[in-house]
Amino acid sequence: MATTTATITLSSADIQSDVLALTKQATLNKGGTTTGLEQTTGLNKVIYTATTNIVLLDSTVLGVGKAAKVYIANKSTDASEFVLITINAQIIGRLYAGDWMFIPWSQSDAAGNIELAPSVATALPVEYMMIHEGATQTSA
Amino acid sequence: MATTTATINIASADLTDNALNFTNTATLNKRGNLEGLDTIISATKTFTSTSAVDLVAVTGFTATAANKVYIANTGTSESDYFVIGIESEEIGRLYGGDWMFIPWDASTDDDITITPSVATAMTAEYMVFS
Repeated sequence: MATTTATITLSSADIQSDVLALTKQATLNKGGTTTGLEQTTGLNKVIYTATTNIVLLDSTVLGVGKAAKVYIANKSTDASEFVLITINAQIIGRLYAGDWMFIPWSQSDAAGNIELAPSVATALPVEYMMIHEGATQTSA
Repeated sequence: MATTTATINIASADLTDNALNFTNTATLNKRGNLEGLDTIISATKTFTSTSAVDLVAVTGFTATAANKVYIANTGTSESDYFVIGIESEEIGRLYGGDWMFIPWDASTDDDITITPSVATAMTAEYMVFS
């Protein structure tokens, strides 16, 4: 069993009159257990050169209803460039340059892919990683 | 204009043969520019029913904006969870101690919904930056 943690820190000195300083750490476990997730895609980096909507992560039978965690980051440095993130055609949001997201992904059904559409075709870099309980392997 | 940052660290000594430890910091800016998001909503809610309800409704938010949302299950139960969705699409389950951070489009009907798995006083905390 592996032990993996994900920690978020939200900070601001001036978004409100009181300083914002929140830190939250989660230990990434399999659904409904205290057993750590033990599989990962590793950290991937892809440079997109088309605005085509693509499947970033394919929902698979072995993952449905489980406790996968997904990290996605837009590594562009041009503030106007974004990637549109959708799940099963439902728009989640736009990751602008430097933005990242971290979600639990229960792969609610076979159509519940995580998809990504770059806003530009001029070499937009994205990093992503999934830590998960299992993924269906495609036969050769 | 406010300056707000969100930092993530993912770490494991044994998930892979080589230790995993990376950090990424985002400065939370408005759509397509370098001006910081400048409003925040912060709340804690306790739920005592398994009904699906809106945690954050789109009313009052700018559509197709660069809003950010943080949600955490403050409980400690490994079996109790919140199902988090947008409109009718399930994103995932937040078990006790889990958190998530997403960009939120806030277009028409894109309310963020929450469904507790049990009716025995589950608590979520959330923040919306817009």
